[in-house]
Amino acid sequence: MGQEISAAVMQVKNLTKRFGPLIANDNISLELHPGEIHCLLGENGAGKSTLASCLYGSYKPDSGGVFIGDDEVDLNSPRDAIKFGVGLVHQHFVLVPALTVIENVIVGTISSGIKYDVKKAKREIQSVCEAYEIDIDLNAKVWQLSVGEQQWVEILKVLYVGVKLLILDEPTASLTLPETVKLFSILKKMKAENLSIVLITHKLREVMEIADKVTVLRKGKLIATVPRSKVTEKDLAEMMVGREVVLQISKDTIEPGGELLQIRNLRVENDKGKEAIKNISLILREKEILGIAGVSGNGQRELFEAIIGVRKSIAGQILVNDTDITRHSPREIMKHGIAHIPEDRIHEGLLTDFSVKENLILGYQRKPDFCKGLFMDAERIAGYAQECVKSFGIDTPSIEHPARFLSGGNLQRIILAREFSAKPRCIIANQPTRGLDVAACEYVYHLLLEERRCGAGILLFSEDLQELLGLADRIGVIYEGQILDLFAADEVELEQVGLLMGGVQE
Amino acid sequence: MISRNFLQSIKFERKPYVKPLWKVLYFSLALVAALLVTVLLMKMAGADPVEGFMALISGGFGGGDELIETLVRSTPLILTSLAVAISFRGKVYNIGAEGQLLIGALAAYWASVNFSWLSTVILVPVTIIIAFLGGALCGFIPAFLRAKFQTDEIIVTIMLNYIVTYLLSILVSGPWQDPNSSYQMSPFVPEAAWFPLIIHDSRLHIGFLVALFVGGLLYVILTKTTFGYELRTIGANRTAAKFKGTNISRTIFLSLIFSAGIAGLAGAGELLGLQHRLRMDMFRGDGYTGIIVAILSGLNPLAVVPMSVFFGGLANGSTRMQIMTGVPTALIYAIEAIMMLFLLIAQVISNYEITRVRHDQ
Repeated sequence: MGQEISAAVMQVKNLTKRFGPLIANDNISLELHPGEIHCLLGENGAGKSTLASCLYGSYKPDSGGVFIGDDEVDLNSPRDAIKFGVGLVHQHFVLVPALTVIENVIVGTISSGIKYDVKKAKREIQSVCEAYEIDIDLNAKVWQLSVGEQQWVEILKVLYVGVKLLILDEPTASLTLPETVKLFSILKKMKAENLSIVLITHKLREVMEIADKVTVLRKGKLIATVPRSKVTEKDLAEMMVGREVVLQISKDTIEPGGELLQIRNLRVENDKGKEAIKNISLILREKEILGIAGVSGNGQRELFEAIIGVRKSIAGQILVNDTDITRHSPREIMKHGIAHIPEDRIHEGLLTDFSVKENLILGYQRKPDFCKGLFMDAERIAGYAQECVKSFGIDTPSIEHPARFLSGGNLQRIILAREFSAKPRCIIANQPTRGLDVAACEYVYHLLLEERRCGAGILLFSEDLQELLGLADRIGVIYEGQILDLFAADEVELEQVGLLMGGVQE
Repeated sequence: MISRNFLQSIKFERKPYVKPLWKVLYFSLALVAALLVTVLLMKMAGADPVEGFMALISGGFGGGDELIETLVRSTPLILTSLAVAISFRGKVYNIGAEGQLLIGALAAYWASVNFSWLSTVILVPVTIIIAFLGGALCGFIPAFLRAKFQTDEIIVTIMLNYIVTYLLSILVSGPWQDPNSSYQMSPFVPEAAWFPLIIHDSRLHIGFLVALFVGGLLYVILTKTTFGYELRTIGANRTAAKFKGTNISRTIFLSLIFSAGIAGLAGAGELLGLQHRLRMDMFRGDGYTGIIVAILSGLNPLAVVPMSVFFGGLANGSTRMQIMTGVPTALIYAIEAIMMLFLLIAQVISNYEITRVRHDQ
């Protein structure tokens, strides 16, 4: 199986992949050689994972394709890819926690029959472990393993079936530093064994440490493929972020007011109990937009959730106008005039089966304006909803229309209308323009600036640097749970922020 | 042989919009399918299906007396279905209506014996309230465990059903047993506590009016009150509700207690309106049938009432069917389940679609 490609190189030729109007991969060409670590570098949404999925057969390209040797190969499913010796380690592991390491490795490889030779499998896995110096208890159940060890199991799985090309999607995202060091030493061994490795990452330091070649992607386009030895971190950051014209957003200069939101030495854990926010301190003033740049997954979600109260911090303090709101409930925090725009509007901000009207009062149903004792004041709610639809331009046939029929931009308008109608003093916005078209984005910008003019302080998380540079008064860069640096927006250098987003601090 | 590629290319997606006409069509087809399977079952029981259905329908809905008896039969079912509907609206799964109904009957019995010196006008409302509180107390256990320890309410409520059944057994074969009987049953409750009849010379008691009232009340609560809104919110999207500051534990807690209290009312009605004494076999699984009725009614309190009357009518008519054609009354349980299966299928088909994802251009 796959013998014929032992000496061959995988080539990607003019690969294009579209999702509706979005071009995720635009005419990409690449060559992957054995004994080489090839990094795919880019921000979120640059098209790295899509490209990997095409190589692994999860997606089929719209045009162009994958060549092994001189032949174009048709990868219809991961099964085909595995047949050609391609392996993929997902960012999120696909292991069975209740099974042992051995069982996880051999599951799916057993071709037929009821009995299989566990002892033989164990010997084989052991020899793989020795060859790559992977030190793991093969009889341990997967749930007992650390995240780093679970990743080794994923790697063992692909090594066990025998791969020529191994793709790792953001492998270090959930690893600690020593685990990363160990992973890299395993990868180097694999390279010495003449495997071809594709490493997807946005961390510049990793690229510099381990890559032989780097391909930089930006917004679906291949910017360049260069040997690592020929570039510096600065060059890569520049390629990754680009030097496009800064978005033209007309913004008045306003003198910021007093301190509104203070975050002191905050520590927050993520769902896996790992520290996702490591000792962050921030001050947000009135009449100011504080932008937080960073590649997603660096703690933005945890910080956002800690401020609005749905995630409990483990240490540190959050104060609003000098009142301590640390570990208060979301309801109590809302009462302090903190509104929020969640990252995932469908799941965290709306009730899609409910009417537009009912969505517009979500969270404010107990406000005296909307209540008559235990009852809701239907008349006033309807009046308020009409007002929202009119002044925020929500395009809906009526206020009774179910929200799920509306477009993404209109759904976001519902959230904006609801949050801004409450006249918040402080707005925490996480990726407020994600997935919106240009017109809807501009509307969001307009509203945020309007709130700032009226005196609100806004903490804005965004992956879009252009957007941050256009809107924010100050910009901080978050990387692995820490704010690396804070700039005044008019003094900031794009490439400097790009470097920081990649974790490089001068 | 279906290839793996084919299976991978199939996706199951929610339809953005379904025309009401199509819905009607799907649901009619489901009813026809359920009917056909029922016909098959009657054939297997060795009866003439036409005759069987005639007996079933005429026994349940054939005349004034039959209709009144159907309303009597559906009274506890309306209440248990409402109890299930209100909790399910918040995706709080109270499977314990059966046990809560029994506790309601026990509480009503206790109250009617201990407050028998009150006059009927006062005693009846008192027993109703105490039955509600009894049921609510039974709901308090899963509610408290859920709020405090995140215990699954499904498991706790199911287990309580068994516990309460044995509690009834202990009581009617011990402290509350009729001294003049060797059966597992209590003496008759004092007549002052008997629910007044709505129609003279029938068995239809005011419990039916209570059930109608509760149905209307729940509709108002769900659509017009802040609590109802919050309950629907946690049912529709618990994450968004949490982000927007809804007190989820408290809402779940209240909905369980409220739901259980309503189920308790059903027990009071059966005891004080109909049977007048506690017996081991006084209930016929209305707590469980209520789950089916509630789901078939789309968890809408206003739809629960006619749906319960329909199922009550089938149960009522099944006796005549057995006498006339020899088809056992147990057939109606099969009909209930068959109808539910087909209607659920119709619901899925009308709301979802199967699409093929094409890889090739």
